Amino acid sequence: MSEYEKYRQVCREAVWTGVTLLVLIAAWLVLGFGLAPLGGTVFGLSVWTLASTVGFWLFAVALVALLVHVVFRDMDLGADDGEARK
Amino acid sequence: MTQGNPMALLPLLLFMALMIAIGFYVRRSQKSGNFIQQYFIGNHDLGGFVLAMTTVATYSSVSSFVGGPGMAWQIGFGWIYMAVVQVTAIFLVLGIFGKRVALLSRKFDAVTVVDIIRERFQSDGLAAMAAFIIVLFFCGTMTAQFVGGAKLFAAVTGYSYSMGLLLFGLVVVVYTTVGGFRAVAFTDTCCAVMMMIGIVLLLYYVLSAGGGYTAVITGLEANHPEMFEPLSDGHMPVGLYLTQWILVGICTIALPQSVVRGISYRDTKSLHHAMIIGTVVIGFMNIGVNFTGILAHGILTGPLASYGGVDNIIPSTIVAAMPQALVGIAIIGPLAASVSTISGLLIVASSAVVKDVYLHHQKKRGIVPSTQKLRTLSMAATAVVGVIVFFIALTPPSLIWIINMFAFGGLETAFFWTLLLGLFWKRANRLGALLSMGGGTIAYCLTQGLGFKVMGLHQITIGITVSLLFFLLGTYLGKPEDKKVLAVFFPEKD
Repeated sequence: MSEYEKYRQVCREAVWTGVTLLVLIAAWLVLGFGLAPLGGTVFGLSVWTLASTVGFWLFAVALVALLVHVVFRDMDLGADDGEARK
Repeated sequence: MTQGNPMALLPLLLFMALMIAIGFYVRRSQKSGNFIQQYFIGNHDLGGFVLAMTTVATYSSVSSFVGGPGMAWQIGFGWIYMAVVQVTAIFLVLGIFGKRVALLSRKFDAVTVVDIIRERFQSDGLAAMAAFIIVLFFCGTMTAQFVGGAKLFAAVTGYSYSMGLLLFGLVVVVYTTVGGFRAVAFTDTCCAVMMMIGIVLLLYYVLSAGGGYTAVITGLEANHPEMFEPLSDGHMPVGLYLTQWILVGICTIALPQSVVRGISYRDTKSLHHAMIIGTVVIGFMNIGVNFTGILAHGILTGPLASYGGVDNIIPSTIVAAMPQALVGIAIIGPLAASVSTISGLLIVASSAVVKDVYLHHQKKRGIVPSTQKLRTLSMAATAVVGVIVFFIALTPPSLIWIINMFAFGGLETAFFWTLLLGLFWKRANRLGALLSMGGGTIAYCLTQGLGFKVMGLHQITIGITVSLLFFLLGTYLGKPEDKKVLAVFFPEKD
């Protein structure tokens, strides 16, 4: 990968990390404030309390794993070919 | 309480001895080569698991284990709903800055965040301001950790506050001074593991002492129905959710103690693993410890005032629920959160003094200090900063938790736009960064001092907005950076 390609890839990863954050904020709102008015219980707790905490956490882990596997790419962290370190 | 519990002290002493042993082991196993790289950044050698654990442990402070669950006991599930936003903290900082700073640090032989800021904006004044802000706010945060840890120690073991401070305070200063960043990373990993073990143990004994899960939840529903509402009958205003997303979620990506971990890892595989592991661990800790705080209602059934405030809920729970023989293990978790945060901040504060100020000054004068001199100075700087904070904590200032959050917001205000726009926006320039860091921090401190708020929101919202406006103003008024500098930071297609 050239320096330019690494830079473009790093920017792409940063943008998608930001997009993941936006998706998580939306999920957090839906799982918490969105589900709170609805009834129903799981393990003796109202649905929103489980969905907005444990559910949100598991969703975040799954989304981060997806982000890493789909968007993030391995690269050499050293200088570009032929370019010596300062 | 004057009579201490020796059973509680023994596991703690063993844990602290392990921390010291790791410090000396790391020191002995240091390879020859660039001392500054080794001491302040661990020679770019951290694997994914250790990177995740050290980032989580430095981020999670004693207040996550004491004040937070105490508030959960008072507020209910709304508090966990708010605290869970912190699951974004690790993948955000590593995902946005992890590779960017790793690539740049190898180009410039940078070992600190300030090194990268100096290279990007070509400004010694900005670098000096950044180093000053780091040392100043870190000292505040470290003092809060020392005080919080020592108070918890005194409440749970029955020994004095000073003894607790002496025990774990000096231990953390010694192992950080001796082993540097690598020792900090390895001890942080032990600390994070102990935090999780502590949470599981406490959760088990809280449920056991409270008569079981069903009994505790049924009692809560009958006596505190508001604890099952997101707004907790007005105790959790929407504004608090918003500011917490900013203060302990999004803006934490700019905390120098977190960003510097992007310089420290071995390869990109390690970074990718750390993003996933870190999200798993920080979620487990946040949900686990705060849920335990709520379940403590099964044991602590009186009003809050009878326990002396939210900070005493977890110490009281440990004493009431845990068998005497396990109290010492349970307290290691919160104290581990305290020492891991202190060590992480201490090594970055020391690097700000030695690398960002002293070494840069010597370099400008054409002087290259010997490795032995650098070793002595680096260890001396770490020890001196640690000892100063230790003595401040001996006579703890009041409102220490407010000082902690004040420092957190101050660092975010100072570094958020400077790092984010500086590293991803070509047009960002020196004047913008100077105005943003200086103006934003002053606005934040002033509004904090005056107690001025907009719509009742925490002053971080003012600091971060002013900081952005100053950045944009400076960027449009100032000159663009040198093309050669921009070519290094923003490579173009050949």
